[in-house]
Amino acid sequence: MTTVWAGLATGAIYSLIAIGYNIVLLASGTFNFAHAQLLMVGTFLAYTGAVTFGLPVLPTVLLAAAGVAVIALVEERVAIRPLLGRTDSHGTLITTVGAATILDGLAAAIWGRQPLTVPPVLPDEPLTLLGGTVRPVDLALIGFTLVVGVGLHLWSRHTLTGLASLASAEDRDAASARGINVRLLGVGAFAVAGAVAGVFGLLVGARTYAVFDLGHSLALFGFVAIAIGGSGSQLGGLIGGFATGLVYAFAARYIGAAYPQIVVFGVFLLILFLRPRGLFGAALERRV
Amino acid sequence: MNALIHRFRPLGVLLVLVLLLIAPTVGLLDGYWSRTVMLIAILSLLVSGLNVVLGYAGELAMGQVALYAVGAYVAGYLGVEFGLTNVLVALLAAMLAAVVVGLITGIPGLRLGGWSLAMVTFFLVTLVPNLVDVFSDVTGGTLGMATAVPTLFGMEIVGDRLYWLVILVVIAWFTVARNLLLSRHGNMFLVLRQSPILASVLGVSVYRLKLLVYVVGAIPAALAGALFSMLDGFIAPDTFTFALALSVLAASVVGGATSVYGAIAGAAVMQLGQQTFTQFQTWQLVIYGAFLLIAGIAFNRGLVGLFQDGLAAARRRGWLPARPATAAIPPGGDGPVETRLEPLDGVVLRTEGLSKSFGGNRALDDVTVEAHPGEVTALIGPNGSGKTTLLNLICGLYKPSGGRLLLGDQQIGGQPTYRIARHGVARTFQTPLIPKDMTTLAFVATGRYMNHKVGILPAILRLPTFRRGYTADDERAMALLRLVGIADVAGKQVDSLALGTRRLVEVARSLASGARVFLFDEVGSGLDESDLAVLERAIGMIREAGGTVILVEHNFPLVLKLADRIHVLSQGRLLASGTPAEIQADRRVLAEYTGATDLPEEPDDAHTPATPKGAN
Repeated sequence: MTTVWAGLATGAIYSLIAIGYNIVLLASGTFNFAHAQLLMVGTFLAYTGAVTFGLPVLPTVLLAAAGVAVIALVEERVAIRPLLGRTDSHGTLITTVGAATILDGLAAAIWGRQPLTVPPVLPDEPLTLLGGTVRPVDLALIGFTLVVGVGLHLWSRHTLTGLASLASAEDRDAASARGINVRLLGVGAFAVAGAVAGVFGLLVGARTYAVFDLGHSLALFGFVAIAIGGSGSQLGGLIGGFATGLVYAFAARYIGAAYPQIVVFGVFLLILFLRPRGLFGAALERRV
Repeated sequence: MNALIHRFRPLGVLLVLVLLLIAPTVGLLDGYWSRTVMLIAILSLLVSGLNVVLGYAGELAMGQVALYAVGAYVAGYLGVEFGLTNVLVALLAAMLAAVVVGLITGIPGLRLGGWSLAMVTFFLVTLVPNLVDVFSDVTGGTLGMATAVPTLFGMEIVGDRLYWLVILVVIAWFTVARNLLLSRHGNMFLVLRQSPILASVLGVSVYRLKLLVYVVGAIPAALAGALFSMLDGFIAPDTFTFALALSVLAASVVGGATSVYGAIAGAAVMQLGQQTFTQFQTWQLVIYGAFLLIAGIAFNRGLVGLFQDGLAAARRRGWLPARPATAAIPPGGDGPVETRLEPLDGVVLRTEGLSKSFGGNRALDDVTVEAHPGEVTALIGPNGSGKTTLLNLICGLYKPSGGRLLLGDQQIGGQPTYRIARHGVARTFQTPLIPKDMTTLAFVATGRYMNHKVGILPAILRLPTFRRGYTADDERAMALLRLVGIADVAGKQVDSLALGTRRLVEVARSLASGARVFLFDEVGSGLDESDLAVLERAIGMIREAGGTVILVEHNFPLVLKLADRIHVLSQGRLLASGTPAEIQADRRVLAEYTGATDLPEEPDDAHTPATPKGAN
């Protein structure tokens, strides 16, 4: 059961990445490779707030949320907006990978290449729960991820803004003609995705350390979560993330330390072959 | 003077290459710089592989670094374990292994493409250290592996000899890449990048084309790996990092992804940047990222693009001699305009009870129509009546839910698009599908790719068959462009053309294949009067030559003028069939078009029905 808790806690991080991808994907139809880097920056800002400035929890979280939201907005302005309306398929891949790499590099230059320990906000005594041990801070991570994921899912299905965002992901021009402010929606999505990533910086950092090259492996695992859950489905991404985390934890526990990534890769390929639209697929693919 | 420069250009290139080869021997390069040149050469191989896959074919397969590792470890292992130090054996084995790995990891791309392929291949790169660890018996694990001294016919390949080997391999690869990419095969990669649907309509199996792309892209990466293992004499997993993958991607876009030699420029920028600036280590990632961002947004043709723009500007201002005119226009450019086509082998196309459902929506219901050679068969009907669905069924983009599709006596319903295209069914699109980075002439010639095939080997070796095939292709394409009255745009980039011209280009392209059945989807809409006249003449010629023409058109007067037989569709069903005169007199058709329910007995002859669009 300890393995299950470890898997769920790791999985929560993957879910967060998947949620971030989906927020932007749903609102603007672009895939933001750099989202995992936003979370990485969130952990560093949490470190800066909690350790460097010695702030209490709430101001630290607010600082990280605001900081990452601003970075996300800058990224949207620099890497996404110039490409809107262009037809070449891999334009945003190049620019968002570029943005991600810049964030990696800046983090390394500012905070150094050594992992920094982000202090846990809750007492660091393992709890025994359902026959397994789990750190309170990990439990909080799992809980808040569930709340945010389910909340965003309900929001995207039941509020006018959420539906408008679905509509504009489906067809920007048509949505725009219906009076939806597509651009505002796209910008807003980046801000929200950034803020969510920032809020979780403290909790995620307590589990992973703050380290500059956290991003690209998280990006890949987040994408596996999307592949399992189906792109554009918040609930699917949430479940996909937890599933990926569990697979990872069990592979590490029972096969060996070198294997979990390979096993996750295998699962990833399997899903892509058998259910290319994901298990909960609400895919946005379409033929030209 | 002009001709002189161009005649001696190959000689100049040769001179530069020879100079490069002898540079270390005659003391032009010291040890540091010859190593630098070798590192640039090796990186340029990696970048070139990415250019083939990403820049030309548009496939997001980013696993070059993983294939690089495969090449390095295979070459290293053979030397250490079996004493196979012969460089030719090592290079060949590395290539074979990478081709296998490239194919396996490319398989997801066959079904998915796009982001999923990008993620699978990125993932593979991050897995390299894990895989090296898992197979540590073979690879030496994280500690690394010292490789054996490479040999060739008993000579040790070290120092200057290794330098020559690296340079020669790189020259050989870039010759192959140039000859392949600057051929119809390379053009077909560009078509794939623009639209797999277009590729399949041209009779190309997208499946096999993608596999070809992955194989071609894997080869230089493997060569680079093998050469690297010989250069360093030591292989460890920390060479094959995600950061290296990023630098390859950055070098690709900096040099110009859709170019042959941009790879060398990009690799040089990256390698020299890394060696020259001591601060580079700290800001390395920021610099890569900035390159990607800037190249992605601003100059997406890279350094090669800037160079070409500069060259063109210099020529305009007369600083440089102009390009000889023969380069753009093939022989016979000023010949007389043809007025008839060679006979076409038209064939009866027949649908029997053809149906198509999307979920519960029956888009086409039990439609039986027939189109004869030497006739123009028009499909008309309001929007959403199933015209384009019928065309998509005929050319195989949709699978029928029921009924049969016969070409002559052959049942072709349900076959994949490229097979149906090979039976001789050509089509144009409502929104013309036009690739980038290609001249109009080259695009029209892609129509002949399948039926007048020049193999890959003749293209790479530039054999006489290749030259003959290409001369024939260009002449035919030029003749067809003249036929549709747009010979003047032959040398222009095809994606710079206006909509009306694009439609005529598509007609020429479909004629180039020598098809038996022509499907024209709203080919007249968006054309002005003079273009329409050309189009009418072209369709008339296809009819006279015995081709089977199926025309989907909203422009009712045009249909009346051209069609021998008209089928009217309404809400997925066949409403009426007949000659233009019969259709004009049909009250149901009139009702469908005008919405009128009560009509006079004799419809007056001056009627121009209120067609929804296109009736200019």
